[in-house]
Amino acid sequence: MLWRLSTLVLLAASAFAQKPTFTVGWSVYAGWTPYHYMNKSGVLRKWADKYGITIKVQRFDYAPSLDAFVARNIDACTMTNMEALDMPAASGVPTTAILVGDYSNGNDALLVRNGLQLKDLTGKKMLLVEKTVSEYLFDRAMTLGGLRDQIKRVRMINTSDSDIATAFIGDANASAVVTWKPMVSQISKLKGVSSLFNSSQIPGEILDLTVVRTDVLSRPDGSGQKFAKALAGAWFETLAQMSASGAAGDKVLAAIAEGSQDTLASYKEQLSTTKMFYTPKEAAAFGASPDLKQKMALVRQFCFDHGLLGANTKSVDDVAIRYPDGSIQGKPDRVRLVYDTAYMQMAAQGKL
Amino acid sequence: MSVGFLLIHARPQRAWATILSWFLFAGGIAAYLWVAQARHRENPEDRVTPTIAQMATGMYNAVMQPAEEDEAAPPAAGFYDRLSHSMLWKDTRATSRRFLLSLALLFPAVLLGLHMGLFPYVGAFFLRFVLFFDKIVALSLLPILFIAFGIDELSKVMLIVIGVTPTIILDSFNLTRGVPPEQIVKAFTLGAGDFDVAYRVVLKQVAPRVLNSIRLNLKAVMLFLFAGEMIASTDGLAYRIALVRRHMGMDVIIPYVLWVALLLFLVDLGMRTINRRLHPWFHEA
Amino acid sequence: MLIHIEDVFVAYGSPPRAVLAGINLEIQEGEFVCVLGQTGCGKSTLLRLILGSEHPMRGRILVDGREHRQPDRTRGYVPQKYSLFPDKTVLDNITFGCEVSEFGLFGHLTPTFYRRRRQLRAEAFEYLHRIGLRECDAKKYPDQLSGGMQQRVAIAQALMTKPRILLMDEAFSALDPGTRRGMQQLVRDLWKATGTTILFVTHNTDEALRLGTRVIVLARESADQGSRIAMDLSVPAPCGDAEIPSLVRRLEVVSESCAL
Repeated sequence: MLWRLSTLVLLAASAFAQKPTFTVGWSVYAGWTPYHYMNKSGVLRKWADKYGITIKVQRFDYAPSLDAFVARNIDACTMTNMEALDMPAASGVPTTAILVGDYSNGNDALLVRNGLQLKDLTGKKMLLVEKTVSEYLFDRAMTLGGLRDQIKRVRMINTSDSDIATAFIGDANASAVVTWKPMVSQISKLKGVSSLFNSSQIPGEILDLTVVRTDVLSRPDGSGQKFAKALAGAWFETLAQMSASGAAGDKVLAAIAEGSQDTLASYKEQLSTTKMFYTPKEAAAFGASPDLKQKMALVRQFCFDHGLLGANTKSVDDVAIRYPDGSIQGKPDRVRLVYDTAYMQMAAQGKL
Repeated sequence: MSVGFLLIHARPQRAWATILSWFLFAGGIAAYLWVAQARHRENPEDRVTPTIAQMATGMYNAVMQPAEEDEAAPPAAGFYDRLSHSMLWKDTRATSRRFLLSLALLFPAVLLGLHMGLFPYVGAFFLRFVLFFDKIVALSLLPILFIAFGIDELSKVMLIVIGVTPTIILDSFNLTRGVPPEQIVKAFTLGAGDFDVAYRVVLKQVAPRVLNSIRLNLKAVMLFLFAGEMIASTDGLAYRIALVRRHMGMDVIIPYVLWVALLLFLVDLGMRTINRRLHPWFHEA
Repeated sequence: MLIHIEDVFVAYGSPPRAVLAGINLEIQEGEFVCVLGQTGCGKSTLLRLILGSEHPMRGRILVDGREHRQPDRTRGYVPQKYSLFPDKTVLDNITFGCEVSEFGLFGHLTPTFYRRRRQLRAEAFEYLHRIGLRECDAKKYPDQLSGGMQQRVAIAQALMTKPRILLMDEAFSALDPGTRRGMQQLVRDLWKATGTTILFVTHNTDEALRLGTRVIVLARESADQGSRIAMDLSVPAPCGDAEIPSLVRRLEVVSESCAL
């Protein structure tokens, strides 16, 4: 009798103790560092407890975070729309973007020496991280300047982001560099360096998202959805605190800046060229707008042209994207990336 | 197999020894295939563990197709034409050029170690600094290297030289000091001058060991070369790996890694053969 | 006299321990001197002083009227081990001395090189026969020879440059008794033929008596003092088997007093 009772108690206890656990990974970037604050300040824990789950936060370098997400070691991750398409989606890991955080509004820039113009770049040395948003930015810059056929004639040198600033500053032969802040700010300080093009000229094309694996979201016990709700709730609460005016807001910003070892001033400077969707209403509206489809069309074409959708992918439609209104870009049976505004809308309606 | 087959006294038959030596290869490949199969069943588009067929395709493309930054080959191009313009050949040529150049620059290091060991003033001048320099982690000096040498070939070669040279100098120094003093005294009594002793007696004796030392450092040279290429480059084997990683192209990365292993093995074999031919009198493992 | 050693004092280590103290010695040209003593008595040190690879703390050593601060052609050397260059064949080892003296590092480029080398090699073959080796041994490398053969080649190598003095540091101590006898005979014959002054260091009393015309015993009086010449004996040549035992007893009594 006692034996049976104790087993029951143990089972019940283990059911209680085994709260579903999820991990979200982030890397240092103006639009993602709020996760550091979200975790440290306890905002995330509050929301996780509300839904009866545990959420762990793990910091990575950017590329390793993508690897971890594709390898299913983490359940959610911060990444750009381009990487969301290339890495998990094209690798057959269906992904849902649940939060649209911001778009780069000047954070990514093409800088040149000695007042060179776009047309002068043919045959010159240019430093950038190939196959990332930097190459996309350059591609768009040349396209908008009517110089599409010259893109291949520019000598691109694949340079890792951690060394790109020193490499450009130290090598006078490098005529141009495409990178993002804070490296952009560092390089801009150099004499004779000017900005030729930046992401504010292509607003909405470089998005920063929080994505979750679709299979996590569709778990039968509903814990995945709780995870998404908790993330959304914590995210917008943090953003609300960030955008508060005066000393209260600054305090939060300073706490966030700590996560990337920035000063408050430099973090604010980075935020100034980032179009953050501070309210869930704005974020949901952007996610549902037809603009998004248009921008994604450009991005997916670029990815396909550069083989980023996978060497075996025969057509750009093989990695399809579904939008909140139900429309699908690509083959309907091959949807790999989903933009889901449901959670942002719930946040907007206070239903979280 | 007798009772004591796991002991020191064991004498394995040739056949057994050969079979055993291929075991881990077979095991590793089997384990990989099993994992790949499992992952592909779950997700047919998995790119992390490509199947053998996918890797073969990836390799075939690397060997037959030009790199994506180059123009496509004309359809009428012959086999050797395609081969010489292929991605693999382009990358291999670039990496090999840097590799061989760095190897060539290691020989002055050997001579420096030799002189440090024989000429006390030279030793007093260099030894302490070389010992210190040996402890510097070359990769952390990259920013300085870029500023001093630009981001082209020179900085990559200098990275290798800074990383590996101190080891070669110290090895050469120790080997020189290991020459029995009787030999040096003997040489002097036979009428040799200082430079005769250095080059005709000591260097000749120490040469096979020095070649072995360089051979053992080939991996370090390749490591630094890879680091340099991954950080800033327009071509090369490691460059291609870094690039292809952006879309998880393991079907290219794994064959490339195996290709590099093969190349290193061949260089190692080549050096061992040269060592044996040049120094038939040297008998050591 | 050829070698003049005056009031030499040598100490090693910290704190300095005296090895040789107050050595006065004169060696005439053509003598065959054997230096005898227990291990640690400084006999090798004495040899190295004459060789020039060590310097005394006090006193001076004159070879042919001049002080020599480093080893050179005037004094040939046969050590106990590592006497041959492992990377050269027997023939090249023997001709090494003459080749290196006459041609520099780029000697291959001079026109006379090849002719001269043929001459030297012919001479080396003569030496080869004299030391008892065969033609087929000429192309071998030192590690293919036995210990005894190696030492023979070492002697030939040293003698080909015709030094005035030949210094042999326990040259036969690593060989077995049978081989030793042969080597002793060889050295004695070579000495008679060439008239080189030989200084032979050994700890084997029997050997010293058979070989030398003069035997010098080094011994210490007490543990903290350097060795002195305890005995300087002229040995009738050849030393017959009958006389040896009594001489051996005399010498050993003296040399055993050397404490480490």
